[in-house]
Amino acid sequence: MAAFLRFVVIRAAMAATTLLLVSLIVFSLMELVPGNCAERYLAYKNTQGQNLTREDIAAEEARLGLDQPFMTRWTGWVSNVVLRGDFGESCILRVGINQLLGDKFLISAAICLTALLLAYLIAIPVGIIAASSNSVWLNGSLRFVSYLGLALPNFLLALLIMLASTVYFGDSLTGLFSKEFRDAPWSMAKVQDFLSRVWLPIFILGWSATAFALQTVRALMLDENGKLYVTAARARGLYGRRLRWRYPARHALGPIINSLGFDLNRIFNELPIVALILTLTEAGALLIEALARSNDQQLAGAIIFLLTATIVGLNFLTDIALALIDPRMRKSVIGT
Amino acid sequence: MAIITGRKRRDAGPKANKVTRKQIRQENRKEAYFTASQRQLIWARFRRNGTALTAGFILLTLVLMGLFAPFLSPYDPTIAGRDKGYTNGAPQIPRFCDAAGCSARPFIYGTKRERSIETNFRWVTSIDTADRRYVQWFVQGDRYRLFGLTMTTHLFGVDSGKIHLFGTDDTGKDIFSRTLHAIKTSLAVGTLGVLISFSLALIIGGVAGYFGGIIDGVIQMVTDAIRTVPSIPLFMAVAAFLPDTVSAEARFFYISLILGLIGWPTLARRIRTHILVERNQEYVLAAQLSGAGPGHIIRRHLLPSFTSYIIVDLVISFPYMVLSETALSFIGLGLKDPVTSLGVLLSNTCQADVLLNYQWYFIPVIFFITLVMAFVFVGDGLRDAADPYGSQRK
Repeated sequence: MAAFLRFVVIRAAMAATTLLLVSLIVFSLMELVPGNCAERYLAYKNTQGQNLTREDIAAEEARLGLDQPFMTRWTGWVSNVVLRGDFGESCILRVGINQLLGDKFLISAAICLTALLLAYLIAIPVGIIAASSNSVWLNGSLRFVSYLGLALPNFLLALLIMLASTVYFGDSLTGLFSKEFRDAPWSMAKVQDFLSRVWLPIFILGWSATAFALQTVRALMLDENGKLYVTAARARGLYGRRLRWRYPARHALGPIINSLGFDLNRIFNELPIVALILTLTEAGALLIEALARSNDQQLAGAIIFLLTATIVGLNFLTDIALALIDPRMRKSVIGT
Repeated sequence: MAIITGRKRRDAGPKANKVTRKQIRQENRKEAYFTASQRQLIWARFRRNGTALTAGFILLTLVLMGLFAPFLSPYDPTIAGRDKGYTNGAPQIPRFCDAAGCSARPFIYGTKRERSIETNFRWVTSIDTADRRYVQWFVQGDRYRLFGLTMTTHLFGVDSGKIHLFGTDDTGKDIFSRTLHAIKTSLAVGTLGVLISFSLALIIGGVAGYFGGIIDGVIQMVTDAIRTVPSIPLFMAVAAFLPDTVSAEARFFYISLILGLIGWPTLARRIRTHILVERNQEYVLAAQLSGAGPGHIIRRHLLPSFTSYIIVDLVISFPYMVLSETALSFIGLGLKDPVTSLGVLLSNTCQADVLLNYQWYFIPVIFFITLVMAFVFVGDGLRDAADPYGSQRK
């Protein structure tokens, strides 16, 4: 138990360090934008017909704390985020970022995690069956699907589905909510409406992940199936499903859990573009909006940080889960 | 190879009457196998993989199509080559026969664009089946530069008017020409990006793997932190810094640079692992004990032990570069219009108008999928071929 607690603490510390590094990267990105917040704000006011001087800019900088050195501002930003969950103000819109994001990030995270779950719910049984079957047809089509998962990235799939649905059904199936629910507060009817539309983004986002997970599960199972302990179990008279699920599947589970974090990363990668195509109103679309249109680095930085934090959190959880199911993991604290 | 076979024959000379020719051939094959270089072994294994070989040929075709794009495409891909009379025009497929009889030379129909009381005073393009335009080879057209030569000859064209195999877009640019040029641009961005990220990965991964210890730990931590950040949002954030005033050519360079600067961590990690593993191998120790210097060991033992793997890694990471470029351009943060890349072409498809009426905008998608698929199959084939235990496992 003590060893396990130690493992958890060390892993948590490592996750925190990673997050700190990521926050440094994100914060530097926000800082690299030409012109700081005060200048940009006042430049905007300037276009509205107000005459502004250097002193005004300096005063605004002092008010926003921009005259502090980089490290002070970074630690300030990080402590605000960690202690109060506050990402500060958007430079362009002059509104708190938390207010802008609202529940949008939660919706995105929910969509992506569901997509991930779906991917593995499909990939694990199919991959295990494919690994132990000799059917050329099954394995060939599986290989093809896996490669297609890379060659037909989610956003292209979304485009093609839109093409097909507009040509055949006359409806492009886009958006997360119907018109009447878009700004309404959450209610049963809104949830129903949401569920009736959210399956498409979930399917599209899960597509690549499923294809890759299938490949991973199949390869892992093939590796395990060839090992001596499986032969030994077979020699003792085990066969079929009992053999597969009891021995090789349990061994293959470790690396599969390990790969969850990477797959979430892949799904997040595709999220903004899929959101753009399907005109979803959530964090991914907001990210594109912030970067491509309004050039709002504070908002973009907050979203990227939150996405990464979700991945780091998932990685931490999978590490704990691995340690629970695999005693070898507990021993190698730093282990890779 | 020939020298070795020669010597073998001479050695076997006196006993030649006892050893049959078949045995000699077998001996030679064995000897060829044992003396073959790493590259020859990989090629021999790769050649046996049918899918990968087919993908290789497709890939080669696509690369050549990209390289000779200006010659193969009938028109200039930019606004200079536009066809004012045929905007948003459907693909024109050359045919040999129609109701008026056949011809040995393929032809397309001419189009008429008119506005009159019958068309409700809107411009309407109609096909004129009486107006046959014959496909010609090696026609003179727009001026272009290819490998430093200024040329005006294009592979094909029509005797009058213009031919648009894949149709035209809303400004009348020929989608066929644009697709070919897009392949070239996307491959170029990918190559540049892969080269930049590879150099970075070699340095960073090499340092981490060679020194080990604390340096390795710190570098690994930073690499892992960068790897956790979803790369496309990160690309987007960096690409958003590029001011709009940057010229299209400079933008092309910057985008490759960004792709390279962010793409290195995965490669660096693999190189580090290679070096860490190989450094402690027994053959390195053996070489050291035989008195070989570090330079000799690195050049003659370490590098050859994983160059093939690195080449394979490069091929595998290539489609990701192309994908990232496409994704970036698609959102409008990557390459922009005068430069034609697959992403730029795809970004045009996402309009309701296109979805409903102009589906030929989607033709480049086929090329995109084929290109990435071909790369993935070749990469996988190469990886299997480079793995010396691969054939034994099966």
